[in-house]
Amino acid sequence: MRRAIRLTVNGRAVTGEVEPRRNLADFLREDLDLTGTHVGCEHGVCGACTVLLAGEPVRACLLLAVQADGAQVTTIEGLAPPEGGLHPVQEAFWDRHALQCGFCTPGMVLTAAALLRRNPRPTEAEIRVELSGNLCMCTGYINIIRAVRLAAERLAAAAQQVPGSQFAVPGPVSGTGHGPARIPESGSSHD
Amino acid sequence: MTDPRPATREPRTGKWVGRAMRRREDPRFLAGAARYIDDLKLSGALHAAVLRSPHAHARILSVDVSAAAALPGVHAVLTGDDARRLSSPMKPIIPIPIDPQNYCLATDTVRYMGEPVAAVAAVTRAVAEDALDRIAVAYEPLEPVVDPEEALRPGAPLLYPELGHNVVWHDAFTYGDVEGAFAGADLVVSERFTIHRYSSTPLETFGVMAQEDRGTGVMTIWSNDGRPGLTSGTVAAALGISQGSLHLIAPEVGGGFGNKRRAAYLILAALLARRAGHPVKFVEDRREHLMALMHAANGVMTAEAAVRRDGTVLALRVRDVVDEGNNLVNPTLHSLLKLGNIVNAYGIRAVAFEGFCVLTTKCPSGANRGIGKPFMCFAIERVMDRVAERLGMDRIALRRHNLIPAGAFPYETPTGALYDSGDFGKTLDLALARAGYDDLCARRDAARGEGRCVGVALAMAVEPGTSNLSSYILTTGRKITSGAGEAAMVRVEPDGRVRVATGNVGSGQSYETVIPQVVADELGVPPETVSAAPGFDSFSHPWMFASGNYSNKFSGMDIGAIVGAARKVRAKVLTIAAHLLEVPEEMLELAGGAVAVRGDPRRSLTLAQVADVAYKNLVALPGGSEPGLEARHYYLSPMATNPDAQRRIRAQLIFTNSAHVAMVEVDPETGGVTIQKYVVVHDCGTEINPLVVEGLVHGSTVHGIGGALLEEFVYDGRGQLLTTSFMDYLKPSAADMPDIEVDHLETPSPFTVLGAKGVGEGGSIPALACLAGAIEDALGPLGVRVNDLPLTPRRIWEMIQAARLASR
Repeated sequence: MRRAIRLTVNGRAVTGEVEPRRNLADFLREDLDLTGTHVGCEHGVCGACTVLLAGEPVRACLLLAVQADGAQVTTIEGLAPPEGGLHPVQEAFWDRHALQCGFCTPGMVLTAAALLRRNPRPTEAEIRVELSGNLCMCTGYINIIRAVRLAAERLAAAAQQVPGSQFAVPGPVSGTGHGPARIPESGSSHD
Repeated sequence: MTDPRPATREPRTGKWVGRAMRRREDPRFLAGAARYIDDLKLSGALHAAVLRSPHAHARILSVDVSAAAALPGVHAVLTGDDARRLSSPMKPIIPIPIDPQNYCLATDTVRYMGEPVAAVAAVTRAVAEDALDRIAVAYEPLEPVVDPEEALRPGAPLLYPELGHNVVWHDAFTYGDVEGAFAGADLVVSERFTIHRYSSTPLETFGVMAQEDRGTGVMTIWSNDGRPGLTSGTVAAALGISQGSLHLIAPEVGGGFGNKRRAAYLILAALLARRAGHPVKFVEDRREHLMALMHAANGVMTAEAAVRRDGTVLALRVRDVVDEGNNLVNPTLHSLLKLGNIVNAYGIRAVAFEGFCVLTTKCPSGANRGIGKPFMCFAIERVMDRVAERLGMDRIALRRHNLIPAGAFPYETPTGALYDSGDFGKTLDLALARAGYDDLCARRDAARGEGRCVGVALAMAVEPGTSNLSSYILTTGRKITSGAGEAAMVRVEPDGRVRVATGNVGSGQSYETVIPQVVADELGVPPETVSAAPGFDSFSHPWMFASGNYSNKFSGMDIGAIVGAARKVRAKVLTIAAHLLEVPEEMLELAGGAVAVRGDPRRSLTLAQVADVAYKNLVALPGGSEPGLEARHYYLSPMATNPDAQRRIRAQLIFTNSAHVAMVEVDPETGGVTIQKYVVVHDCGTEINPLVVEGLVHGSTVHGIGGALLEEFVYDGRGQLLTTSFMDYLKPSAADMPDIEVDHLETPSPFTVLGAKGVGEGGSIPALACLAGAIEDALGPLGVRVNDLPLTPRRIWEMIQAARLASR
């Protein structure tokens, strides 16, 4: 027995015919080929499958696809601006070497992006608590926390330049990754 | 929070090695565009699920799969009997005294909870799991044996009755005058230590997809297996095909840490694919991963130290029992690496080592970040603290007194390791300075005055890299594997861009960034024109038995192969360019992507122009010159010798060293530990990319912290694993891990091509020792002694209660 569902994924209307037991992660990965949503534990602890549902992070492994009927879903594939480049959180993860194997990265980035939308100037303690539902087995978290702080600083700076566009996406940050690492000039506070 | 490491450490003039470059591979991971094993799709592919034993030990009386096979959507079912009929048994890497007829599925007996018994391939994973519910297995339960010391006793339940006991390896070694040292010692310290089972649990589980080409007979297997060089032979032999007909491909790998090698799953998927006539994919779920992939071995060690009154540790006498679980693939791995590195950072001159590898009805033990050395370091560092206590010496002073002096390198330890380079005293001093050790101790004392349990400790460690396969000669007596190395190919494409491939399978170590840095220096090209192939492909990458992702070997072995291949290509570029420019080779220099006449830069050829001739304009090449601009290099470490007549072994070849300092506070009411300060100073020789090095130090240290404080595979007395999810097998999270302050020394290795040493295992080795020391220091006033791991809140609370009872 299958059910028809209709939802919006990364701004696109999609439809599907799913078994009621199919979880959202499998629907995204298998039916829509959005394989950036990773599956690490399938019991809601590791956070690798995190997607945004109406802008808030949820575990795609704990949500059935039929429960997402009518919902607005954002996956990692939909985070960057459609015109290209990276989202500021992605850019900061790159600059701060906040990923190694990359398997936790989509869920981690989406969780961080949602945090900064809700709380643009989080303290380190707030970042740690917010990210505590996403496991990373490679980095020891330090560079991830640094990256979220850097993203917050850059977003705040961008918001000052364009009032009211606190979460507007600034243009791609310069640096190709082919030269010496670009570390922000001193004065950008990482205390 | 500490600052990120500055990017502007002084790079060698004009060189790319040494620069903290941002990673080349990151954009695709950040965008969710990287393709891991479970992201690969083939038309018509089926999904497999595995039925596993609920018993720790049982005889299989019958397996009835008829109802499963009849379920719509099921294409193939496989049992142990099928596996026996359709494949050959897997050969252990090392010879063992019995022939256990080890197949990809259990045949007559199951020997751990979670052992695969049957498998189904169906249109979806869900249907395959439905089918598992319809398989009826009749078991006759047998007595489990869970504790390794129980397994050693006469009369213990036997995993393999034909063996007559559960000991898969036992040997005793003596190096130097151990008896004399103990006889003449002023003090003998004797301690018993235990370590638990834990694992680095990569966030991506193990997975495999197999497809048979019926026309060519080629079996293609995609897998995140980390040891393709070893896996290829095992799988091809089991399937009855040539290694030339086994096409192994590794896609992106979502973390490895040594865990990801299980030939049985490749064989299982291949047999199902053959039977079904469709590609078959199998990806472990987390429960399967936790109960049945592999665990770092638990074990028991007694360590005795003979000590002179001045604090000199003269000799060690070690008895080490490794719980291999049901590991018949590569037993003795933990033992050899402990034996080979047993003196840690100290100039101890005599060692007796007796080792046992014992089989129990638990998940097979296997490679996990650091293999055996976390326990080695824990035991030796605990011994050092006890010696200091007994002599009334300062813990740091005692260590400093025993460290191998900087002038002694290269230094041969009694068991045969040849430590390449380092200045352990400098590492120690820098760690104390960075941590503000005296201040930490003052803060501890002040806190103690307020009745709080605060402790400070330091641990020293060697962090060895590169396993020498010759070690196994010691446990098998047979010279069938030996040496250490890796293979690489460097090819200048016709358009002048450079492509590199190796036999290693990256799983997050930033190879796509650091390999271009290395090759850029060798060929005088910008690193952005060099690409290192991700993953692995046995039909296009060069490889050998030793190839793969393990043992901190990249900095020594892989770079040796890459540089070797790059230098062959460089020589050829110069030969061709000299011919075309009509000058002697000595007058040419390679820089900026071009070959130019020294002092006359107008006379130059770009690498693309040279390549264009090499591939296209063949008659223009110098006489006798082979067309093309590609070279392969198979690197053998010159240090990788076989055991000598005294049975001394170079188990590992390259030696990073480090010092960890921690301050912790323990809540005596809950047993909870808060890390208030954590400092790592390490020396991994030449750093190819400091940004990458720092990331590996952070990550490896957190592995050690997790292993010390949180993670444990808990078995009950019946061999039932109680921790089969991340809700009961606890991993470190951002909320409970400390900031880690890292500082670096750089003493190049004389034994590697660029002086680089391994950094991947790093902090996973000393972190357990360091935290144990700090917790013991915190609880010392209560009379607590830490000899057993892990240090979970419950265990700490129990230790506190026991100490309080004892002091009444």
